[in-house]
Amino acid sequence: MDDVDVLMLHSRFSPLKRILSYDVFDRGFCGWMTLMPNFTEGPDFDTPPSIVNKDQWPPVMLSSATYRFPGTHGSMSGTYSLKLSTRPVAAPYSCPPAPGSMGHAIKRMSFWLPERQYLQIEAWFAYTAEMDVVDGKGPQPGLHETSVRAFGAGFDVQERGNRYFTGIRYLNSVDGKLLRKWQYVSAAEVSDREWAFGTDGDWCRRGVDPWWFGRRYPDGRHDGYKDVPGGTQNLCYNETDDKINWQYMRMKIDTLNREYVEMQCQDKVFDMRGIPITYVDAYGRIDGLINPVFWVESDADRRVFLYVDSVVVSQE
Amino acid sequence: MKQFYASHLEVKKYFSEDFETHPYEAGWADEAIFFIMVEEIKGESPVLEARVQISHDGIHWADEGTVSGPITAAGLHFVRVSHFGNWLRLACSVRGEDASFKLNIQIACKG
Repeated sequence: MDDVDVLMLHSRFSPLKRILSYDVFDRGFCGWMTLMPNFTEGPDFDTPPSIVNKDQWPPVMLSSATYRFPGTHGSMSGTYSLKLSTRPVAAPYSCPPAPGSMGHAIKRMSFWLPERQYLQIEAWFAYTAEMDVVDGKGPQPGLHETSVRAFGAGFDVQERGNRYFTGIRYLNSVDGKLLRKWQYVSAAEVSDREWAFGTDGDWCRRGVDPWWFGRRYPDGRHDGYKDVPGGTQNLCYNETDDKINWQYMRMKIDTLNREYVEMQCQDKVFDMRGIPITYVDAYGRIDGLINPVFWVESDADRRVFLYVDSVVVSQE
Repeated sequence: MKQFYASHLEVKKYFSEDFETHPYEAGWADEAIFFIMVEEIKGESPVLEARVQISHDGIHWADEGTVSGPITAAGLHFVRVSHFGNWLRLACSVRGEDASFKLNIQIACKG
């Protein structure tokens, strides 16, 4: 890490007292990888049955953000960012996610700080859709902002006997209609069966893996998310798919009281104090787990992308 | 030290038609190997062939010239490429009557 990295850490980030990881992607992947299912079944390390196919999420990669006309965009801190992408496929919003319609990145860590309370993830990010084909004949048919359904950041955590998921997502577009609002992870009062789209035998319990479980409704509601109070926000998509702007997001949670604290995007802070975090009984073999995650989801049969650079996870 | 990173491009998936792998950005790397693990083969006279393709934008693609040669047996196969810009993918053809290949495809980059 050079002096510029250290300067930027305390200039364009607001880390808590102890920094667990600071990932600048010109230094490599920094432990981030594609989220894959559990290959635990026979006869050949197959995956458990599930209504959501989770081995089609495309690979995360180090991106230079290189496009057809302008060439290379680079990243916030240099040349490379961590890129999440989807395949060119999407199911209607109210259906389970189509195989490959989401991209997921994960880093796997664990608690180390005694007497800790707060946990925070911060990142600079940009998002866009693939500049593949011009759609139809309406105004700006070559602008694909509505193809990006959602993206977000969060944590998968297990501590003191419970597992819980927290996160914020920007719900950009639902079946082609722009909504542009923030939602936070919170499970509705539904059964495990309802959580798994009405199927039995899935391994997930209510509240686990809200990225792809939890029923969705055509108006943007979701059994795994609720609207952030006052959370409508127009972000900077820019005027064409090949111009991206680096923007800031931050989410802080209270692991002691299992509540959200606040989130921030660009220069707007959203007060989330007192919002409870959904938790379930502990899963086996993952005590102490802290897994920060990012994800992106397509709203059309087109690849969409989320770029992050850099990422800071901190505690106090 | 050099950077190294291996990514899955396809996992435990059956292919019975021609296909291209997900556009992959590898501008940071000096060399790449596409590992093609053939786990299962079905059909009459099945043949898989993989061509390396490069691109300036991840949308439009040209053959780079490296070709796997005909793949007709289960097991691990690979193609190597060491001069490319940013984007890489494999264009794969599947030939044969009712031919189907169960594949894991991984790209391993170093640089």
